[in-house]
Amino acid sequence: MRIGLRKRLVVWGALLLVCVMQTHSVAQIKVGGNLAPPKPSLVPVHLPDLTELEGDVRSQITTQQNALAEVVRNKTATDAVVSEAYGLMGQTYHAYSLTAPARECYLNASRLTPSDFRWIYLLAKLDQQEGDVAAAIPRFQTAGSLQPKFLAVPVNLGNIYLELNRLEEAKASFVKALENQQGSAAAYYGLGQVALSQRAYAEAINYFQKALAFAPDANRIHYSLAMAYRGLGDSENARAHLAQQGSVGVRVADPLLDGLQELVQGARVHLIRGRVAFEAKRYAEAAAEFRRAVTARPDSIPAHVNLGVALTQTGDLKGALEEFEATLRMDPQNTTAHYNLGVLLARDNKHQQAIPHLQAVSTINPNDFAARLLLVQELLKLDRCAEAAEWQRKLIETATRQGNDDLLNKLRADLQRYENVRPCRPPQVTEP
Amino acid sequence: MKLRYSLCKLASLFSCVSLCVSVNAQISNRTSGAVFDEVAERVGLSFRHYNGMTGKFFLPEIMGAGAALFDYDNDGDLDVFLVQGAVLEPGSKPNGTLFPWRDAESPRGRLFRNDLEIGKDGSRKLHFVDVTEKSGIVANGYGMGVAVGDINNDGWPDLYLTNLGSNQMYLNKGDGTFVDVTKKTGTDDVRWSTSATFVDYDRDGWLDLMVLNYATFSTSSSPNCYAATSARDYCTPRVFAAPGNRLFHNKGDGTFADATISAGVEKEFGHGLGVVADDFNDDGWPDIFVANDGDPNQLWINQKNGTFKNEALLAGVAVNRDGKTEAGMGVDAGDCDGNGTEDIFVTHLMEETHILFTNLGSALFEDRTRESGLGMPGSRFTGFGTLFFDYDNDGWLDLLVVNGAVQLLPELVRKGDPNPLGQPKQLFHNTGKASFVEVSEQAAPGFKLLEVSRGAAFGDIDNDGDTDVLVTNNNGPVRLFLNQAGTRNHWLGLRLIGKNGRDMLGARVDVVINKNRVLRRRTRTDGSYLSANDPRIIVGLGNVMQVEAIRVQWPDGSSEEWKTPSVDRYLVLKQGTGNR
Repeated sequence: MRIGLRKRLVVWGALLLVCVMQTHSVAQIKVGGNLAPPKPSLVPVHLPDLTELEGDVRSQITTQQNALAEVVRNKTATDAVVSEAYGLMGQTYHAYSLTAPARECYLNASRLTPSDFRWIYLLAKLDQQEGDVAAAIPRFQTAGSLQPKFLAVPVNLGNIYLELNRLEEAKASFVKALENQQGSAAAYYGLGQVALSQRAYAEAINYFQKALAFAPDANRIHYSLAMAYRGLGDSENARAHLAQQGSVGVRVADPLLDGLQELVQGARVHLIRGRVAFEAKRYAEAAAEFRRAVTARPDSIPAHVNLGVALTQTGDLKGALEEFEATLRMDPQNTTAHYNLGVLLARDNKHQQAIPHLQAVSTINPNDFAARLLLVQELLKLDRCAEAAEWQRKLIETATRQGNDDLLNKLRADLQRYENVRPCRPPQVTEP
Repeated sequence: MKLRYSLCKLASLFSCVSLCVSVNAQISNRTSGAVFDEVAERVGLSFRHYNGMTGKFFLPEIMGAGAALFDYDNDGDLDVFLVQGAVLEPGSKPNGTLFPWRDAESPRGRLFRNDLEIGKDGSRKLHFVDVTEKSGIVANGYGMGVAVGDINNDGWPDLYLTNLGSNQMYLNKGDGTFVDVTKKTGTDDVRWSTSATFVDYDRDGWLDLMVLNYATFSTSSSPNCYAATSARDYCTPRVFAAPGNRLFHNKGDGTFADATISAGVEKEFGHGLGVVADDFNDDGWPDIFVANDGDPNQLWINQKNGTFKNEALLAGVAVNRDGKTEAGMGVDAGDCDGNGTEDIFVTHLMEETHILFTNLGSALFEDRTRESGLGMPGSRFTGFGTLFFDYDNDGWLDLLVVNGAVQLLPELVRKGDPNPLGQPKQLFHNTGKASFVEVSEQAAPGFKLLEVSRGAAFGDIDNDGDTDVLVTNNNGPVRLFLNQAGTRNHWLGLRLIGKNGRDMLGARVDVVINKNRVLRRRTRTDGSYLSANDPRIIVGLGNVMQVEAIRVQWPDGSSEEWKTPSVDRYLVLKQGTGNR
């Protein structure tokens, strides 16, 4: 038997919601004021309501707002200095998806220093994200004229033209991107999409294959390849590529946009850093980051679960158990915490204590084969044969849904033993 | 050959007015103003959705609810059922929630009878009366959606109500009252159900039932989720397990059998929100498309032996054209490009696009969202209820999408909006062959209101030959948009009934204008989001005043034809009365 601790970190991305801020109740909403501009040509920046934000984040934004206000009040500050302050504030807002004040800040920064590529580009990105393509196109064009070698500009433009079904302009933009960087997977992918739109399937396949060659991890390209092969009537190749398709898309390098993530503070950033460290097997560092996330947001379930997993890897099993138990106090149905507790307790030969956790996860998620399998084994260790047989039947149901005939046969044979042999003994079934 | 319409019971099944009165007389009265006129309050449809919002960001609060347009009393006009929410947390009181319920009676789903009066001059007086008490419908669960179908083939439409918790099947007794037959029929599902569809998948003459389930939710285990701002917000469904859907087979004896496993639809599922049954591969057997929120969609192709096989991925409808899984909400199917095959439209989250999957034939689809002009306009809002319908009766199926966010909108928060999820509604005009242009500006002033719209039910409420729209708003009032534009063009209204008077859901109609132009439509009540639509078909004819023939393919596979029908009126086509 090989059942490992569920090391899959709780993915923060699943909990991260896009482009929102919130209020808890109507009465608590405080409509923010605004920061008056130093010149008539600039716009006021409406201050967002920060009351519901994490303490670290609120503090970061407030500090920066104060710094900007100080610069704006300083009549001796040059346009370049004021622009930079607006731009940095805009980036911080942007990093937290506070897009309306971010836009106002970028607008002012851009008006103060029209030749600064960054602000017009980030404004265009905001336009694109919000679907205002009429504004995005000229801004990207301006940005492109300021920094012709910035690859993301023609790729973004190409993608916008694609969405607008302006295929010739899209094609021209992607070709321009290739002139900037010959091995741009994003540009080849865009050209493939243009060809697919035109039902030029062979041409699309050619471009998609090039994109895949330059970005082999971008397994979502296989889906586009499959659709192109299907268009040619080649269902064999189509199915082959569908079997390889995944969730990783093609992405153009965009240091300016990626840099926004560096500005993010609070539990989220610690979770992300912790996950990166964990995946690199730097478990102590990961645990430290996850602990910071717990400190920043004590009610964060991902932070507690991930800390528990990281502590397991560092050998601090007591600490790990505490984190999983803390998780269950907040979320009694949390299957990851139940499962990991079950595994740790089972490893520690605390079968009696492990069983309720494994029963919980097996009940909540009937498709959890590993949990059901471990549960059966724990029951057998305590000679609770009838219960083991009952769960084995449920395990068979799970396996039936998974359609693994070999495994099913083995499970059924084991079931007979649990039903008929006393004392029943642990089986030798391998996790699928 | 003369038409042989089934006129036998039309006076009772369908008002004489709807059969005999041409509405052309009214055309001159139409103004060139907005397409729709919002009249809910004026006509007695006084209803406000209650979602039990607690401030704890429980996902169900923002997902409901739906509505049904159905003629429960068979008097020839569409009545309305509106699904209602309830409190979510055990022990809490409706008047103690964030948006307190003020009525003396607790919130419950309500039935409104349509007392439409049509004057001799063709003028319409629309009025609804709340008949909930008398109806016997006690819908006081946490309501989500509604489906309509005649489960016992008695000619009276029955109701299936989906809830967060036990669902309810209400049998229409034909005397203005309903009886709860959930237990007797064996059609309960205690999970969080959303949309449902009645479909005779095995062609045995009895309507079966497919029920979608969304997420495994309980208030006691709902996690805290956060926005990119770091503030609390609603969770995505991905933090809750998907419970799986359910298919009930109608045994024809007043009971249903759970056919989920035997039919094979338990094998794949996601967070199901939208469902539509249609014959996508043109083999005469109904298939089922399921739109999932954040998971790949399923296209269950009928294997003609009581089982289904999910072919969504190769068919090209599981994900978007980039291979990316999106958040499918509402859905509909219809032939929007006029090529005689059924296309699929799915609404999605803002920053995604809605998707138009055009059917190339044999249930192979292409994502033609960009090419159709639906891409960018759809990316600005989060869409739910939707339908292919020909609002201007020009012969091309248009689209309406009702919107409302699922995560708090920062701009509305900043402005102090107490329910900061509101978004406008959208109308898209099909200028021909699935080329769409947004015409929301001309739709109605009510389209601009920032509301948390969810359900949308479509049908000809005033029987004037065009399609009206009933829109439900989460934590808001219902809206009834009466169509003011459709009867500027010619039209043909069709009700397709079986030998026992049941609406033949799934029946396919080809309206042959000439050999080069055939309009394909179908009888259905499903589609949209959590809602049930008029089973009648309105076929827009533009300036065409004469139709060569109507060909009907019935759900049992048989076909009939009616020659040269009159236009600008409703016709009832009864199975067995056409030319074979």
